[in-house]
Amino acid sequence: MSILLVSTCDNKLSEREFTNPISRIIGDNHETLHYTQCTSDNISQFDKIIICGTSLKDTSYIKNFDNFRKLFYDFEGSILGICSGMHIVCSIFGSKIVGNREIGMFEVEVLNKNPLCEKSFQAYNIHNYSVKDLENFTVLAKTDTTPQIVKHNSKDVFGISFHPEVRNENILLNYLLI
Amino acid sequence: MKLGILFSGGKDSYLALQYASEENEISCLLTLESKKEDSWMFHTPAIEWTKLQAEAMGLNHLTKETSGIKEEELGDLKSIIESAVSKHSIEGIVTGALASVYQSTRIQKICNELNLWCFNPLWQMPQNVLLQELISNNIESIITGVAAEPFDASWLGRPIDSNCIDNLLTLESSHRINPAGEGGEIESFVINAPLFTKSISVTKSQKYYSNFSGRLEIQEAFLQ
Repeated sequence: MSILLVSTCDNKLSEREFTNPISRIIGDNHETLHYTQCTSDNISQFDKIIICGTSLKDTSYIKNFDNFRKLFYDFEGSILGICSGMHIVCSIFGSKIVGNREIGMFEVEVLNKNPLCEKSFQAYNIHNYSVKDLENFTVLAKTDTTPQIVKHNSKDVFGISFHPEVRNENILLNYLLI
Repeated sequence: MKLGILFSGGKDSYLALQYASEENEISCLLTLESKKEDSWMFHTPAIEWTKLQAEAMGLNHLTKETSGIKEEELGDLKSIIESAVSKHSIEGIVTGALASVYQSTRIQKICNELNLWCFNPLWQMPQNVLLQELISNNIESIITGVAAEPFDASWLGRPIDSNCIDNLLTLESSHRINPAGEGGEIESFVINAPLFTKSISVTKSQKYYSNFSGRLEIQEAFLQ
């Protein structure tokens, strides 16, 4: 299985915080590209794509939703979007992002049986936005206020609002097993 | 981007500074001097000698005394960051936070309130990797505090070199310590590193040690 990690960080320094920890958890069998380096051709060689999060103040990815749609809509493998990556995958399939600041540990309730997690757990959130209009997705887990894990209704496309690389590494490892 | 570094003088904040300097402009160091030795947020041993480190690197240095009382420290942190914004026009803050959600959450919130970027380049780095990064980046530091069994007084002042790291990793297995001191087991002070134009020579110091807890008080040091 080959995996592509996609960085959404506008400042390279943020990749040490948001991309490198995921790289360490998933192991050797992956490549990392910034989203501006991705093309339909070079992403098509991978089985799975993980789109990583970025800094709280970084909104550069939001200006590129149209480009993400062109790039990832027809990807035939599985995609997992984390934080800003979740905003991207949800926007590709018709959802909208809305302002919603959450910083810290939050209790996440699991709503539906899913391959990523079984029981309720604490999760590290750091975001200024969330998603709405999730008609094409099923919400698998949520906090009191926010969808936390969603899955596309017909594709292997997942979005996670929190940062699983902090205290929830097993969720990333479970994703690799899907 | 113009950045301010939350700088304690220890190995973690220095390594974060060095990473940040690769593609950004370091405008200043920010140091909070806690009156309490067991500050919730801020490393304390040898903190007064950060001025010598700032001089060695030719960097602006802002300092502020803080009570060390749990949440009052955060007001002092916000205040010194606001000073750095007004004096040096910083656009972001860099920290050496490794795994503490308590620390990172609070600093993220302050940066968010002040509309600043927040960077934690060591975030989630395994501690053995961090220790190896010190060696591969030629960062020389000494141990200035210990607070766990089985550390004895001989650890105070010891250089964090390859031999020391091997010993720390052994203690990780035998005594379940955090080898890079993430749990407060050790504190450190950087005496020479690639961004230093001169190294720091510690010429007089005093050890205070009792029952697996101790600190090295640096009494005289100079740049050479």
